[in-house]
Amino acid sequence: MGNEKVTGALVERNLMRDSLQLMKISEELKKLDGVIDAIVAMGTETNKEIAKQLGLLLPEVEKAGDSDLFIAIAAKEEQSLKKALEKAKELLSAPISGGEMEYVDIESALAALPDANLAIVSVPGEYARDVTMKLLEKGIHVHLFSDHVPEEHEVELKKYAFDRGLLVLGPGAGTSIINGKAIAFANAVRRGPIGIIAAAGTGLQEVSSLIHNMSLGVSHGLGVGGGDVKNYVGGIMTKLALSYMEKDPSTKIITMVSKPPQQETLNSILEYAEKNTTKRLVLGFMGKVEMNLPKGLKGRTSVARTLHATALESVRLVSPSIYEKVKDKYTIPFDKLNAMLKPKYEKLKSSQKYIRALYTGGTLTSESLMIFDLLGIEVYSNAPLKGQKKLDDPFKSVGNTVVDLGEEEFTAGRAHPMIDPTIRRLRLIEEAKDPEVAVILMDFVLGYGSHPDPAGAHLDAIREAKKIAEKDGRHLIIIGYVLGVEGDPQGFNEQKRKLEAEGVTVLPTNAISALAAALSALRGKLNDNRVREIYEGYLKASAE
Amino acid sequence: MSNARKLFDEELKVINVGLKIFYEDLKRQGVRAVQVNYQPPPKLEKELKDKLSELL
Repeated sequence: MGNEKVTGALVERNLMRDSLQLMKISEELKKLDGVIDAIVAMGTETNKEIAKQLGLLLPEVEKAGDSDLFIAIAAKEEQSLKKALEKAKELLSAPISGGEMEYVDIESALAALPDANLAIVSVPGEYARDVTMKLLEKGIHVHLFSDHVPEEHEVELKKYAFDRGLLVLGPGAGTSIINGKAIAFANAVRRGPIGIIAAAGTGLQEVSSLIHNMSLGVSHGLGVGGGDVKNYVGGIMTKLALSYMEKDPSTKIITMVSKPPQQETLNSILEYAEKNTTKRLVLGFMGKVEMNLPKGLKGRTSVARTLHATALESVRLVSPSIYEKVKDKYTIPFDKLNAMLKPKYEKLKSSQKYIRALYTGGTLTSESLMIFDLLGIEVYSNAPLKGQKKLDDPFKSVGNTVVDLGEEEFTAGRAHPMIDPTIRRLRLIEEAKDPEVAVILMDFVLGYGSHPDPAGAHLDAIREAKKIAEKDGRHLIIIGYVLGVEGDPQGFNEQKRKLEAEGVTVLPTNAISALAAALSALRGKLNDNRVREIYEGYLKASAE
Repeated sequence: MSNARKLFDEELKVINVGLKIFYEDLKRQGVRAVQVNYQPPPKLEKELKDKLSELL
């Protein structure tokens, strides 16, 4: 007795609800008396995989399709199960909203706020064009969060907007900061002289937060969406954003953050910048780029290969004295980092050799992959850089693995892992069972839009992971990177404290966290001159 | 050419169409905002509309 469990499921055909609402309902059901676990979700493959990991892939759940909603519950006895299923139905039928400033169409919203100057659009991608166009026609700038917007719609919207001096930030733009206000997923960064243009959401979050933590600030941060630097768009909004930053009196230098743009687009962006800007530029492209700087940009352009270096170089250009003050903290010397990690990696068994990085932030994933590549470490990923290996099954790690849990295979019909920690909690436990794992690296992204307590939401799983390793006589190194600032709703110091209290190592940037993971897995054997060169070299941008 | 509304260094006034969490976060920051609870048009209607706009 005692350990007995009953399970039950219900499927509602063709019932759509947004993933955030479903996550909240799942959480509420888990709090009910006698309930062991619960999942309420759309019947996508991703959600069925999670149900399977929870032991709740019941026959009716297995049959659910993408547009069906399923409820699956494990309880201690029949009575609790029945009650929980009833409660789930009740929560699902409750009205979605009821506030006074809420509308069902754009026309009535416009009537209520006739001088609106910005819209955030997060409707399903296939409807984004119609909604966005309606807003652009009124002269309203749009931050377009939606994914899966057809390429031809993106081009149409951006061309229309460019001709009218209107910004279309996105599609797929996770982050902007305008007039000091966080738009979608962004941090409470103070205002200052650095203007950021980003084709990478977490890239903007990391660079702006680091600039803030180094005690400078950001004038505006415009997320243009990853598609903008590909040839089908040709940098249309990157160019308009450059013009905006050039004209803006509070912007002293312009910093760009992106995965490497496609070559033709890169050339045309640089040409545009040469003709239309006079301010200093920092180009932070994560990856290998072939760049022929036009004459007019030489002498006022820096190039950086990591987010870390992009932030540092931006600070250095604005204030050499602040740069000198923060340099030591943000470029921890190799020997010091090694000495800090040594007592931990000396506890590892010789069989423990692999890094498992479980990321929620896409650009942080790229930055770490870039660093492992520079260090010559072989990695597998579901989002590999050129020349790196792709995971056969994104749900299963092999060797050194860096996984971006924000990729589509993990988010179809679910909230992003920055909001819903379920997927990562399960994955962390799985990694802890693998006797070859030495280090687990995780990011905790704070700010508006994110989970109210990401560190807290992982503590149980961290304890369990450690227990699993200890039972097997292993020590497990966990490195956590907290992206954010003290003014974020979650509070930077509080999040850091929670992780450190569980023995998690917390370092000041994602790049240093990735280096520390490599250093631990290799037992400090990165200590040779070539590696030192890499360590020093990539942290500094080359001022050309 | 442009009827673009002023954005930089102007008070932000935002229409949020879709995920309500973004609206709630704007309110927390003291930004004037309204929420649109968008419902996609029924599939058939959208397909007909797309066909019509192709023809016209």
